[in-house]
Amino acid sequence: MSSPVLAVEGLKAYYRTSAFGVRREVRAVDDVSLAIAPGEIYGLAGESSSGKTTLIKTIANAIQPPLQVLAGSVVFNFRDRTVDIHAIERESLADIRWKHLSYIMQGSMNVLNPVRRVRHAFVDFAFRHVGGSMAEFLDAVRAHLERLHLGPDVLDAFPHQLSGGMRQRVTIALATVCRPEFIIADEPTTALDVVVQKGVLAMIHEVQRELGSSIIFVTHDMAVHANLADRLGIMYAGRLVEEGRTADVFRRPRHPYTRHLIASLPRLGDSAPKEGLGGTPPNLADPPAGCRFHPRCPLATDICRRDAPPMTEVAPGHRAACFHADQVAAP
Amino acid sequence: MRSVLHLLRANRQFLTGALLLGVVAVFALLSFFSPYPPNDSFVVPPDVPPSAEYWMGTTSRGQDLFWLLTFSIRNTLLFGITVAVLSRLLALVIGLVAGYSGGLVDRALMSINDTFIVIPLFPILVLFYFVMKDHMSWGLLALMMACLGWSYDARLIRSVAMSLRHREFTESAIFSGMSTRQILIEEHLPYVLPIVFSTTMNNINWSIGLEVTLSVLGFTDINTPTVGVMIYWANQHTALVAGIWWWIFFPVLLVVMLFIGLFLLAVSMNEYIDPRSRLGRTGA
Repeated sequence: MSSPVLAVEGLKAYYRTSAFGVRREVRAVDDVSLAIAPGEIYGLAGESSSGKTTLIKTIANAIQPPLQVLAGSVVFNFRDRTVDIHAIERESLADIRWKHLSYIMQGSMNVLNPVRRVRHAFVDFAFRHVGGSMAEFLDAVRAHLERLHLGPDVLDAFPHQLSGGMRQRVTIALATVCRPEFIIADEPTTALDVVVQKGVLAMIHEVQRELGSSIIFVTHDMAVHANLADRLGIMYAGRLVEEGRTADVFRRPRHPYTRHLIASLPRLGDSAPKEGLGGTPPNLADPPAGCRFHPRCPLATDICRRDAPPMTEVAPGHRAACFHADQVAAP
Repeated sequence: MRSVLHLLRANRQFLTGALLLGVVAVFALLSFFSPYPPNDSFVVPPDVPPSAEYWMGTTSRGQDLFWLLTFSIRNTLLFGITVAVLSRLLALVIGLVAGYSGGLVDRALMSINDTFIVIPLFPILVLFYFVMKDHMSWGLLALMMACLGWSYDARLIRSVAMSLRHREFTESAIFSGMSTRQILIEEHLPYVLPIVFSTTMNNINWSIGLEVTLSVLGFTDINTPTVGVMIYWANQHTALVAGIWWWIFFPVLLVVMLFIGLFLLAVSMNEYIDPRSRLGRTGA
C-alpha cells in the first residue's frame, strides 16, 4: 500500500473514572492498529459497545475526560503535511479540522441547531476554515448543495422544516463543503429507512469519488458495509479482530466472530433458520483474559484462554486475530 | 417586522398587551412636554377633581395629577426595564457558563445562586434603605434589585444549557474549532432567548411591584416621583379619607394596565420567538 492517509498504531483509549474512591477502567479501545489508503472507504463494523465510536472519536481527537489515550499514535498524511493528531496543539488542530478532516457525528440528524436557520450552521462551522468573502462562501455552499440534490432554499429553512433525509444530506453537505481529504462518518444512515438510506449512501459515494477523499465509515449494518466499503474492519470488545477487502471478508471470514456476523445475514432463497451466538459481549471494565471472544467461541482452546492472539496476515491484505484462523469455516 | 404585524392580527393576547403597553408608553413620553417640573408644588389650585382643565384632577400639594403621573410612570417603567436588563445579563452569563462548564465552576456558581434564592428579599431591601437613608436613590435601588433578581433565571438557563452541552450540534461546534465564547453566544444563546424574553416581562412586573410596595411604605427615595411614591404622598395627605380618590385611582389604574400588558406580552411573546410554536399556530 502506498503511504496511507491515516495510520493508527497500537492505539489504547480507556475510560478512566474514579468516584467515591472506586477506580474503574473501561478498555473501550485496546491495541488497535489500522491504515487507510488515499481514496479508500474503510468500513468499521461490530456490535453495540464494541468500541467503534470510541475508536473514531479518538482518531478525530474529539475526546473528553474520562476518555483518555494511554498509548499509540494516530498519524494523518495530508497532501501538504503530516500530523500526529494527539501531539499537536489546539490551534493547529482547529486548523486541520473541517478543512482536512471532517466528522459526521453519530445521531447526525441533530447536528443542526434547532433554533437557527441552516445557513448559520454552514457559517458557524465551515466559514472560518474557508476564508474569502461571505458571498463567495455562500455561492460555494449553494453549488455544493446542488451536488447533493438540495435546493438553495434549504439554507433559509429551520431544521424542523426539513425531512429526515434532507437533514441527513444537509449534514453530509456540511461535513464535505470544505472538500476534506478525510471524512469520519459515525452511523450516518442508521436513523433512516432503507430507501432513503440507499440514496444517502449513493450520495456519500458520489461525493467521495468526486473529492477523492478517504472515508472511515462506522455502522453495525453489514449490508451497508457490503455495498459501500472497500475494506472492512471488524471490532469485538474494543479490539480489531479482522480486517481485509470487503469481498474477502464476506466470502472467507478468518475470525469465528466475523463468521457468525456474516452468517446472520439473510440471503435470497435461504430458508434455514438463523443461528444466534450464545452469551453476551464482555464487560469492558473486566474483559476476559486471553482472546476476548473465547467465552462465546466454538473453536476456543486452552491457548485462547491464556494469550491474546496477535493480528496476523492470513492471506494477502487480510489480517485476523485468531489462533485458529484456518479452522474457520466459510459461512 | 412582518411577523410582528402578523402577530398583531393573529394573536389577541399580543394585540391587547401591545395596546395597553402602548398607552402606558405614550403616557410616559408625554412627560417631556410637561409644563411643570415634577417636584414643584402649589403650581395649580389643590384638590380639584378631574375636570376639563385638569383631566385627572390636582393633588393636595397643588400638582397637576396628569403631568405628575407622566413623570411617575416614566420613572417606574425605566426602573423595571433597568432591573430586568441588568438581572438578565447576570442570569444569562452565569446560567450559560455554569451549565456549559459544569464541574467546579458550576458548583461554585450555583452555590452563590442558591444563596441568593433563599435570601428573604423584602427585609434585605428595607434594611438596605435604613443603611443608605439619605443616599438612597432610584439607581441604587435598581442595582440592588438586579443583584437580587437574577438567581431563579440563572438556574433555569443553566438547566437548559446543561442539556445543550451534550447535543450533537455543540459537539460539532467544538469539533469545528469554535471557542467557548462563540459556542455560548452563537449556538446556545438563541436557544435560551425565548425563555429569557418571557421571564424578562415577569421580571419587570416583579421589580415594579416590589418598588411600588417599598415606595408606598416610604422605604425608597421619596423625592423621585414614581407610581409608588405618588401613592405614598396620597396616603401622607390622607387622600382617601379626604375624598381625593383620584390621587390614588389614576396611579393604580395605570400600573394595573402596565402589569396586564406585560403579562399578556410575556405569554404571547413565546410564539413569536420560538419558530416551532409560531409555525404551529399560523400553519405556514
